[in-house]
Amino acid sequence: MSEMKTEMPLSKPVRLLISQTENLLDTEISLIRNPEADPNGTLVDMYTYNVERNIILLPAHYIGLLKDFLIARHCVHLLIKGSAAKKSRYQVCSFTGDSMYRGIHQIYIDALKDEAKKDKKLPVIKLIRMLGILYSNVNDEINELPWNPITNASVYHRMPPLRKTQLYYLMKEGKMDMDAMMEYESVIPRRYFVLSKSMFYARDQYLAKTLPADELMPVVNIPQMKKFNHLEVKEMLTTRWTHTSWYQSRIFGDTMLEIMEKYLQNIDWNAEPGLDYFHEIYKTGVKMTDHFLSYMSMKGWFVWESPKHLLEAREKKAAYEFGALKKIFGDLIEKSAIDGDTET
Amino acid sequence: MTSKESEELLKKGHAYALRTKWREALVWYDKALSFDPNNPEAWYLRASVFIETGRNNEALADCERAITLNQNFAGAWSKKGHALYNLERYEEAVSACIRALALNGNDAAAWYIKGVCLDELGRSKEAQEAYGKSLELEIILDIEKEKKRSG
Repeated sequence: MSEMKTEMPLSKPVRLLISQTENLLDTEISLIRNPEADPNGTLVDMYTYNVERNIILLPAHYIGLLKDFLIARHCVHLLIKGSAAKKSRYQVCSFTGDSMYRGIHQIYIDALKDEAKKDKKLPVIKLIRMLGILYSNVNDEINELPWNPITNASVYHRMPPLRKTQLYYLMKEGKMDMDAMMEYESVIPRRYFVLSKSMFYARDQYLAKTLPADELMPVVNIPQMKKFNHLEVKEMLTTRWTHTSWYQSRIFGDTMLEIMEKYLQNIDWNAEPGLDYFHEIYKTGVKMTDHFLSYMSMKGWFVWESPKHLLEAREKKAAYEFGALKKIFGDLIEKSAIDGDTET
Repeated sequence: MTSKESEELLKKGHAYALRTKWREALVWYDKALSFDPNNPEAWYLRASVFIETGRNNEALADCERAITLNQNFAGAWSKKGHALYNLERYEEAVSACIRALALNGNDAAAWYIKGVCLDELGRSKEAQEAYGKSLELEIILDIEKEKKRSG
């Protein structure tokens, strides 16, 4: 008896979207509910991983439209990845030893500038470990975040019955992203904290501009959501940011938003959804990502490569990191510095 | 074996089911039923495993057995709706969900399955109402779950 579950009740538009995705990509999608799944669900696809079928993992307690919304978003992302793989090459932001050195070196210089202004200095060992962790974090974010507004906008335009669900989900996701990294605010260089938040801020602002509509009024009759009553999505997604300490740095977020709008304004979200259409969206996403990297002065940090290259790079990450630290600190660095065993 | 011991067997089965270990869950539910076939909860729990593993006719039979033992078992009516949906018997599924919701109006799954079935029957307006109710309940559950998770 399998633990897999591919048959579950699905609302009609989502059932049709899955079927359309399978037909366009000539592939299969399995849906699995798992109690330990990520709250955003996880797409394990054959264009990224060495798997024979595409799997969407869903939190077990999502049984209705919340589940359907996650499926819809992952299906759109799968269509973008699959169309790129079929029409040209599907690539992601990967890294090499050299590109990691460039990234880590820049983070180190920025960290030193910040440390010079601090009364309470970060212990050297912590600072060194932070370099690699932050670099990987930026890599993860740049591979995920640009696709978030794209998939959300697509679901919004193509699946009106899911809009209320989407509204709730965006509020929830935005809150999670806003809270992320807060505990590391004093550890990581200010520049990266601001840039990371800027990307999320731009995403929220873009969606607030793209999605406002009468249907997107908050779900009423839910006591826990009363405080959002009478607010439109725009207000909901924007007002929250004004209450954070980050808000004073929003100029970066505003520029990120301009970049996002520059690329996404040309997409016809209601066009005939074929492989060519999704391939164009993929290319737009790549250009937008490049522009983000350029704006954040991270141009040489990553390389566009196959997902396989990225998976292999992750396996070699410790060696790359050690090599980069050796270049920066010379013989002062020891392997233990990144393993967390002893002091450097 | 006492009914208390049978309850223990059900608990073991449920612990496996929560971890989606369906095969193991089924073993314990079968044992519990062999000792106490008059426990509607046991039939309901086994029906849940059958549904998760695509054995919808068996799930339907177990739901009906549970309902025979307890006509007011809301969960069994809801699960019956689910099994009927999987069997594409939408009209009957809607009826089962209506009965489930009359017994427990806060069953998000029953509202959702009712919505899905109405949608399949082309009764779009009624479907939207059911979806709306299901979403409200699902959001409340999600918020509560998040609260628990963040302590």
